[in-house]
Amino acid sequence: MKSSKIKKIFLILGILSLAVVFTGCGKKTSASSVKHITYWHVNAQTQGGATVDELVKKFNSTHKNIKVTAKYNPDMYKGLMQNLQSAQASGKVPDVVQVGWAYDNYFASNFKYLTPTDAAKNFDGNSKFIDSSFTKKTLSFAKDSNGKLVGLPYSLSTPVLFINKDILNKYGVQENSLTTWEGVKEASKRIYDQSGKYGLYIQEPGDTWAQQAIMLSNGAKIQKNGKADFASSNGVNAYKYYQEMVSEKLALHTPWAQGIDSFVKGDVAMAFTTIAQASHIKESASFNAAAIVAPHFKEYKTVVPVGGSMLAITAQDSEQQKAAWKFEKWMYSAESAVTWSKGTGYLPATQAALKSNDFKDYTNANPMLKPAVKTLDNAVPWTSFPKKGLQAEQTMIDARDKILSGSDISSTLKAAQDKINAQQE
Amino acid sequence: MHNKNKRILPFLYLLPTAILLLVFMIIPIIYTFYLSFFDWNLIAPTKEFVGFKNYIDVFIDPINQKVILNTIIYIVFLIILNFLIPYFISLIVKFFINKMQKTYKILFFIPSLFSLVVGAMIFTWMLNPVSGPIAFILKNIGISMPNWSNSGILAITVICFITNWKVFGYNFILLLTGLGSIPQNIIDAAKIDRIPKWRLIFNVVLPMNRGISVYVLILTIVQGLQYVFTPINVITTGGPYYGSSNMIYQTYLNAFVLYKTGTSSALAIVTFIIFLILLFIEIRFVEGRSDKYV
Repeated sequence: MKSSKIKKIFLILGILSLAVVFTGCGKKTSASSVKHITYWHVNAQTQGGATVDELVKKFNSTHKNIKVTAKYNPDMYKGLMQNLQSAQASGKVPDVVQVGWAYDNYFASNFKYLTPTDAAKNFDGNSKFIDSSFTKKTLSFAKDSNGKLVGLPYSLSTPVLFINKDILNKYGVQENSLTTWEGVKEASKRIYDQSGKYGLYIQEPGDTWAQQAIMLSNGAKIQKNGKADFASSNGVNAYKYYQEMVSEKLALHTPWAQGIDSFVKGDVAMAFTTIAQASHIKESASFNAAAIVAPHFKEYKTVVPVGGSMLAITAQDSEQQKAAWKFEKWMYSAESAVTWSKGTGYLPATQAALKSNDFKDYTNANPMLKPAVKTLDNAVPWTSFPKKGLQAEQTMIDARDKILSGSDISSTLKAAQDKINAQQE
Repeated sequence: MHNKNKRILPFLYLLPTAILLLVFMIIPIIYTFYLSFFDWNLIAPTKEFVGFKNYIDVFIDPINQKVILNTIIYIVFLIILNFLIPYFISLIVKFFINKMQKTYKILFFIPSLFSLVVGAMIFTWMLNPVSGPIAFILKNIGISMPNWSNSGILAITVICFITNWKVFGYNFILLLTGLGSIPQNIIDAAKIDRIPKWRLIFNVVLPMNRGISVYVLILTIVQGLQYVFTPINVITTGGPYYGSSNMIYQTYLNAFVLYKTGTSSALAIVTFIIFLILLFIEIRFVEGRSDKYV
């Protein structure tokens, strides 16, 4: 027992020391005129990692003085943030990183970074690139609670309602009745009464992104002037709808992977989830699947929080920053951005990419993306509280789970709101 | 000279292990203890000293109370599934079945070779209450499968079964080997005296196998609580509303999802003390055995 454990430890140590030796070597060669920059991303091979490698390779072959190394960070934005913490502690930080929207304020207040505004001013002498590439709305996604631009929006996503057309047709549900949540409930009831199948699944991952979309589409505000404000009557009513759907067995309440699995197998008629699931649903569903714009409540408009990430420059040395900025700008060119979008299922963030023929051809071939692109006009920044934002998100997750297991809605939301606001003092 | 060497050499031999223990175990534990008195987000330059507040929170916060209760439930379930049942089956295989002992060993051991993540994903698929194969079979005989991920106790049960699938074979083999090392002449003597089999097991076999069984028992608890981490992380992320979380998952959640290192460290230290007590019990029993039977 013990000796095998020690052997294992030695093996790990050996590998570690080899890694140290090799990184040491890497350092030495970078002293020449070629600038080496590292790009940290979260895209596993199954989630567009190959596309990242392809883009980086292309950049390296066209830019002789800059060599980019892409590093994959497991466990999405959370994992990248953990690695960035240890990198900062050891003083050896990457140059360009992907930051998820939920980490916006945490990143801005704890790490050293170069804002895109400063990068453009220092290296271009003007802000033409930023102004011409992004709309004001898109830029607002990447601002922290002080209104400062932290990075540039890179991948965007919106929630959409995926539908199983076969089930809807079989039980006589008209697609155009699904533009409101009230319509979705009626359809679910009709399906449940006739087949016993669930009508709807709303994604329940480790965040409340989709639930925020439902509240926002009932005229509720998640935050107002840096304070939580979701326990309003509009917020309560949105959750009341959700709770009733679950308790009347019209909506399935289950973890994310199982919920999507049930939709793909045809046991749930509709799934409210991120557009990033489109390729998975397209590949796995044996029925006629489609996507429509996220529903809203009667008398209100569709409003959804945006998902995805931004690119931020963490390079410290001015020469490194310059190279990082050059790389970033290249990544935002219409061609690169569309390649990226095709590989990951996210929507591109720049105007040039969204309007390019290449992207239009792509959405024509993949019509599920169209409602997501359309929803971008109704998107708002993902709520990020100025202080203890990650704990605030957990408080909202807790409230969701409590409500779905039958707790009183208005007192649960009020308690969650008070808890978040107490931390903003 | 020779004498001096003799005095230094043992320490030199111990040095690599000592350094490893120091760097990877002792210093981190001390640092965790230090962090448990501060409010810190893992990266901010300042740490705010809060005294015993984090420890008080561990016991006062209703969520943590729930998590501690869950931890006890996990321990009870794990003891039943990963200790008592394998023990029972190894007794049957040893004393009531004479053929195919090796085959059983191999069959039971196979799942231990798989990664728990793989196991967890296979089980989520199989046990999907709406679309899984088991739900399908149950539906055809007219039973609707409960949505287990919405009930804390059912989620805990499923998660324990997944670790059971993983560690059953290993524990089974350990216990069976322990039973095999009991001197055959004692068993033969008992047989000649026509002592019934159940008395032989209760009065001779179980006491003589106590060392191994206490070892497996402690392993079941300490390792089991760590093993359940993977399915919790993959399947329920602690839900519904912390219903399936345990102290180890909660430590991870606080540290690496919420960046509350203080609360997390306090939880870790409390867990550490609990494990220390268990280890103390193990040493008392396992080491105590050698005096008795030599």
